[in-house]
Amino acid sequence: MNGKSPLEILIDEKEQINPAIILADELMRRAAAELLSVEDVAKAERVLEIGAREIEVIDVHRKAFLKSQPTPLSYVPYGF
Amino acid sequence: MSTDATMRSSRLSGNGGTIVSFSDRLLKSLEYLGFKARCHNAAAACDTVARLLAEQQKYVLYKELFPKEWKGSKASFYRAGSYKRYSERVNELFELVNEKCFPFLEYWHDDPETDFERFAIPPLNFDLCCEEIDFDNLRVSYVAGLLFYFRDEEVWDFFSQKYDLSAQDFPKLSRSPHPNVWLEKQQARTKPYRDLIRLVDHSTGNPWLDLTHCEYQELFEWNKETIEMLTTAHQDAGKAFANLEKLDERIDENPRRVLSELISFWNIGRLLSS
Repeated sequence: MNGKSPLEILIDEKEQINPAIILADELMRRAAAELLSVEDVAKAERVLEIGAREIEVIDVHRKAFLKSQPTPLSYVPYGF
Repeated sequence: MSTDATMRSSRLSGNGGTIVSFSDRLLKSLEYLGFKARCHNAAAACDTVARLLAEQQKYVLYKELFPKEWKGSKASFYRAGSYKRYSERVNELFELVNEKCFPFLEYWHDDPETDFERFAIPPLNFDLCCEEIDFDNLRVSYVAGLLFYFRDEEVWDFFSQKYDLSAQDFPKLSRSPHPNVWLEKQQARTKPYRDLIRLVDHSTGNPWLDLTHCEYQELFEWNKETIEMLTTAHQDAGKAFANLEKLDERIDENPRRVLSELISFWNIGRLLSS
């Protein structure tokens, strides 16, 4: 893993806000009486799919990290 | 403005004249604050989007199915209705479908906490496997159809008491029906017998007549096609039972002949006289 610690790998990952969060915020600001168009619904369904997939991917990563073996540091941290 | 006056006040929103009461605005604010408190949780956001989409789809359905009622409705989009997971407006849709299309709310849906994303319908036919059937309360033609499915003396006792007919007066019943029984195309004389056997066999293709309490319940989606299909099917189900009236009359006139024809149709797929 290029000598990087798990935290460094995570920090280096490309990050974006889950699109479902942004869409949920948009929808919550609308009045319920303003009905969504067919296109709006289709778009929302796509976002929901992407958002759910992103959660799954993160969950898979988390499980993989939990399974990884502990690795000793190459130096003694300050204070030890 | 006093608090009371504020509570009572309402205003026109920017969405084509829909009146939004103070109470509705307050409920929406509370809902929004609750949402903001957990808005950076992606899983909660997905749930929120899914819930809002399902709600919007029901509003669209309401507007499409009942445009007049939608226009005149004052039901809140935010306050929970009798089914607590849904707004008063969505609850109004449930009531309208129940009242104008087909009755379904009484059936397995008496819990106010019910999740109504999909719904079940009450079977209109008899459960032959476990329902206690009182032959005297059935149409005589339906009891005739039961001869092929119950195969016990009890059904013949009914005909014996009513028409003085017994199993010995007719040919032995085949274990299974002739394949012709299920043919779509039938002569005018055989069609009533085909319809009767399909009805008793729960093979009409109509969900109101084919579903039973015993099997795993089929759940239906909230969309226009499904509601329209179930509405038509509910009317057809009523007609299917009403159509038995003519057969009842024919049995009353000449029970031996009609039962002979019915048994002949079951055994050999045609009427002996034809």
